[in-house]
Amino acid sequence: MMRGIHQNFDQQQAPAFFARGPSPLARLTFFTAMSLALMATDSRLQYLADVREKLMTLLHPLQVIANAPSELYQNTDEYFSTHHYLLAENARLKKQALTQDIALQRLNILSLENTNLRDLLEAKQSLAETSILAEIIHVGRDSFTKKIIVNRGKNHHVITGAAAVDAKGVIGQVTRTYPSSSEITLITDKSLAIPVQIERNGLRAIAFGHGRDNTLDLPYLPANVDIKRGDKLVTSGIDGVYPAGLAVATVVAMKTTQDSPFAHIVCMPTGGIENDRQLLLVSIPESKQEAATALPANATPASEKSKLSTAAPAAVTAPPATDRKPAQNTKPAIAAEPAPPPSANAGSRPHAQQ
Amino acid sequence: MRNNKLWSIYLSLFAAFICILFPWSGIALSLRPDFMLLVILFWLLRAPNQCSVGTAWFMGLWVDLATGGIFGQYALAYTITTFFAVIYQRRLVLFSSTQQLVYVFSLLSLSQLILLILKAFAGHEFVGWTYFLPSVTGVLLWQIAVSFGLNTGRHSHGS
Repeated sequence: MMRGIHQNFDQQQAPAFFARGPSPLARLTFFTAMSLALMATDSRLQYLADVREKLMTLLHPLQVIANAPSELYQNTDEYFSTHHYLLAENARLKKQALTQDIALQRLNILSLENTNLRDLLEAKQSLAETSILAEIIHVGRDSFTKKIIVNRGKNHHVITGAAAVDAKGVIGQVTRTYPSSSEITLITDKSLAIPVQIERNGLRAIAFGHGRDNTLDLPYLPANVDIKRGDKLVTSGIDGVYPAGLAVATVVAMKTTQDSPFAHIVCMPTGGIENDRQLLLVSIPESKQEAATALPANATPASEKSKLSTAAPAAVTAPPATDRKPAQNTKPAIAAEPAPPPSANAGSRPHAQQ
Repeated sequence: MRNNKLWSIYLSLFAAFICILFPWSGIALSLRPDFMLLVILFWLLRAPNQCSVGTAWFMGLWVDLATGGIFGQYALAYTITTFFAVIYQRRLVLFSSTQQLVYVFSLLSLSQLILLILKAFAGHEFVGWTYFLPSVTGVLLWQIAVSFGLNTGRHSHGS
C-alpha cells in the first residue's frame, strides 16, 4: 500500500484521491474539437439532418410531458370560462361566419370565372392549395432566431416550404419537418425574405425580417418610391411558395434621408405572430411549382406555351421537392402566371423592384 | 452510495432538460435561466468524478437539439464553461457563499458570451443587454437552491 503510493509519487502522478482520469485540459481540447467538427458538419454539410430527425422523434414524448402542465392549465382555464364570455364569443363567431359565407359565395363564382378565363387563355390550371391546421407547441428557445414549433409533421403530410398562415395573414414558412412536428421560421426572422406586392398600386418588393423586433423591412427601394404609411403589403405569389394575395404587413413608417438613395420603410406584420395558437400550413401543389420553375424568365410567348405544356406532365410525376427556397424561383414564376393577379389595377403594375 | 449519486445526477439532468422543454414564451423566455448549466455546475462542485466536461458536452448536444440551432453550439459553450469550473473546483468549494455566487454568475455569463460569439459568426444580430438576463436569474435560482439547504459542496467550516 505505502509502496504503491510512493511509486505513484515517484512517477509524478496524482494519488488515487485526486485521480480524475484525463486532465481537464485534455478533455477541453477533445470536446471542443468535437463541437467544432459538429458545427462545421451541421452548418456546411447536410449529413446531420437525418440524425436530427431521429433524435427529435426520441424527444417528442419528452416534449409532450413538458407541455402537459401548461395544457392542463389552459384546459381548466377554458373549462371555467364564464357563460357570458362564451355567449359573446358565440355571437361574434356567428356574425363572422355570416360575413364569411357571403364572401365564400362570391369566391365560388370568381373561381369558376377564373377557371373559364384560364381555359380561354389555354393556360395551365392553378391547382387548389392544400392546407393543414396545426397548433403551436412552443415558440423557439433561441432568442436570436424567430422560430416556432407546431404539432403537425411529416406524418401529417407537411412539407418543407409550406407557408404558415393565420386568420390575419402570413406568419412564416415551414423550414424543417420532423415526423410529428415541424419548425416554422417566422417572417420576422433574419433569414427569411418574402416577396410582396403593395395592394394599392401593385408594386412588387421583397420584405426582410430583422430578428430583433417584430418588424419587416423593405430595403433597396428608391427614395421616391410610391409607398405611403398605411399601405398594405400582400404576397405577390410569384415565388411559388406563398399563395398570392395573402396579407403580410402594413407600412408603419417611411423615411428618406439625404445620405442614402434608398427609402427606409418599416412594416408591421398583420398576422398574429406572437399571440395565436392555431395556424394553417398552406402548400401549393407540386405540379404548379415545378412548371413555374421549369420556365425561363424571358421566353417568347410561343415557346412559353409549348414549354408550359411539356413541363406540366413531367412535373406531375416528379418526386416531391424537399427544399424550396423562395428567393430562387422568383423570376421564372412570373412567366407561368399569365392570368392577371387579383388586384383590380393590375395593368398598371410596374417592374419588379429588388 | 456512489450508484445512488449517479442516479440523482441523471435524474436532475433529465429534470433540467424537461424544464428547458417547457413552452416558454414572451418575458418568461427572456428570463429563463439556463437550468441545464446550473445543474451541471452543481454536480461539478459536488461530484467532480461523476460529472465532468464530457457530461456537459453530451447534455449540451441535447440542448442544441431542443433549441433547433446548429449542433455543437451549446455543447461548445458548456464544454468551455465546465472546464473553468473544473480547474477551480478545489478552490471553489472553499469560497464563501458570496464568492461562490459571483463565480457562478461569471460562469453563466461566460457560457452566454460564447453562444453570443458563435451566433455572431452565424450572422445574427445582438438582441440587446436583456440577452444576459438569464445569467442573473440563474444566479438567483442558485441562491434560492442554496438557501433552501442544497449543499453545493462548500465546506461548512470554511465560511
